[in-house]
Amino acid sequence: MDASAVTLALNLIYHIAVLALVGLGLGIVFGLLGVMNMAHGEFIALGAYAMLAVQNHGLAPGYGVALAVLGTAALGYPVERWLVRPLRSRPLDTLLATWGLSLLLRKSIEAVFGRQYQNVSNNLSGTSTLLGAEYPDYRLLLIVVIFVGFALLALWYRRSPAGARLQASVANRPLAQAIGIDVDRQACVAFVCGVASAGLAGALLAPLVRVEPLMGMDYLLDSFFVLVVGGLGSLSGLAAGSGIIGGTQVVVSTISDQTGGYVAVLLLSIGFLWLRPNGLLARR
Amino acid sequence: MKRRSLIQKSLAIGSMASTGLLSHRQLFAAGPVKVGVMIPMSGPAGLFGPSAKNCAELAVAEINARGGLAGSPIEMIVSDAGVPPAEASQAALKLWKGQKVQAFIGMHDSAVRGALVGVFKGQVPYIYTSTYEGGECSAGTQVLAETPAQQLEPVIPWISKERKLKKWYLIGNDYNWPRDTNAMAKKYIAAAGGSIVGEEYLPFTTDNFDASLAKIKATGAEAVLITLVGGASVGFNRAFASFGLSDTVTRLGTLIEENTLAGIGAQNAANLYSSSGYFAAIDTPAAIDFAKRYTARFGAQAPPLNALAQSVYDGFLLLEAMANKARSMDPQKLEAAAKGVSFSSPRGQTTMQDRHGKKDIYLARADGSGFKVVQVFKQVGAGKNC
Repeated sequence: MDASAVTLALNLIYHIAVLALVGLGLGIVFGLLGVMNMAHGEFIALGAYAMLAVQNHGLAPGYGVALAVLGTAALGYPVERWLVRPLRSRPLDTLLATWGLSLLLRKSIEAVFGRQYQNVSNNLSGTSTLLGAEYPDYRLLLIVVIFVGFALLALWYRRSPAGARLQASVANRPLAQAIGIDVDRQACVAFVCGVASAGLAGALLAPLVRVEPLMGMDYLLDSFFVLVVGGLGSLSGLAAGSGIIGGTQVVVSTISDQTGGYVAVLLLSIGFLWLRPNGLLARR
Repeated sequence: MKRRSLIQKSLAIGSMASTGLLSHRQLFAAGPVKVGVMIPMSGPAGLFGPSAKNCAELAVAEINARGGLAGSPIEMIVSDAGVPPAEASQAALKLWKGQKVQAFIGMHDSAVRGALVGVFKGQVPYIYTSTYEGGECSAGTQVLAETPAQQLEPVIPWISKERKLKKWYLIGNDYNWPRDTNAMAKKYIAAAGGSIVGEEYLPFTTDNFDASLAKIKATGAEAVLITLVGGASVGFNRAFASFGLSDTVTRLGTLIEENTLAGIGAQNAANLYSSSGYFAAIDTPAAIDFAKRYTARFGAQAPPLNALAQSVYDGFLLLEAMANKARSMDPQKLEAAAKGVSFSSPRGQTTMQDRHGKKDIYLARADGSGFKVVQVFKQVGAGKNC
């Protein structure tokens, strides 16, 4: 393999891993609560701004990751309790409510940090040579972290009692409730975990991407495409969706151009919504 | 009672002085001239709204202190130009016909400019100030915006020689400004003995630049001309540096201003150059003094100065020069006065020629935390636009 082929392969893996990371939160919340969280992107932005705040105070990036996860989780609890739960079983209303929340969060970020572009510095800015190709160290680290993280998550979801209770709530909510699973609590935990994973994604990506108040919108759209193709509410669906969307985009934009890549992703998403609205690996 | 009326009077005088009413009454016999300021307060360019508004405010205060426009104080009315062209032209029409605005200064995209020119039809003076692709020559319109001819014609030969650049890769967002800029750039690159090894236009939605970076690497480009805008430029330049390309490949941008550079980050800005009519870092006495006055008025935490925002200040200076030459706010007289009129600003001297400003162009290099001007090209004409 020559260097450009290795670079392409690494780009592909990186892109798929990032899509999975970014889509995870949206997938959890939709899968377990049936709520399309329109503020998903803003929780990612909050994670990135947590890194910025920590950097501005001269602290180590590790604190930023902790602040991103804990901060978004702390915000997620009241949002679930007083915004999402009262609107359960009214999907269109939760869509509007979380959309309103996204505007509020965006404007709050603007009020605190200003509208300007921000720079979260990268402490691992070198590159390594892998099979003849030069690749950014931070991306390599991110790929490893995401793959290990997802493996552990899948193991926990399949094997642990808590995972089993979650699966039961997803598969059949009334029956799960009947056998004594507190589904409201499950939903709350799921929502908090969903937005905290978005916060984590934002924190991990912040050193690589542009950071500004509107950044969340890109991620919401990417996550949405992944879930449309992969199917809502399962880890394997998320993996399949990320693979197909990421693969299509990277390969098509490499052989033609970026416009072609974007068009291919849009066509694919429209095709799935039209012919296979439940995605590849549907929950039901 | 006496004491109360004294308090009331002093309050009234105080509030008049603070709103500027008192000074106007003392200085000016005539009523105020309303000037419409069309700047993006929302949308993707909304980032530049606050700094542009500050520059407009500063210009109005300073011009009024000098005697205003042909003896009348300026009253500025700001309107959002970060909206679709049809909405912006509706808003401008309301200002013009409803509020009797007598001149417009606009810093916005070319689509909005096209719509405004269509509404104004040369009946009201209109000064367009933001960097653009060139070619505007409508009656009543004066352009202070830098054209590709200004930003690149002197710069490409200089930087090609200085950095020994032969192979150029052109990358921009997919709309007319990057495409027209690159059409001009190709001529200048060929004239400087260079060649184009790649040309690419990305949709605004692009947030993954890996495919482009791989192509830049594969083509062996020595220089990249960047006409990506705003967030796309930030994302591209960060990814560019993360792949280690910044040490070997020179980057030149024609819309990389202070905010964009802040987003790119100093650590990602090695060998990054920007060509513009203004940088906050210009170290002439006029530019330093301007930055001081800006900070004195709006505080150290004010949105940072940049070329787009500062162009609005220059727009007011041009209007002042035109009005004082014409000694009138009559559109026809102002139009006649605009020909060959000259004024001095933080950018240096600007002289109007074929509805465009002939002025100094600065080439700056990203340096640590900001820009450092490395070369000044004196009195560069805007090229053929009419």
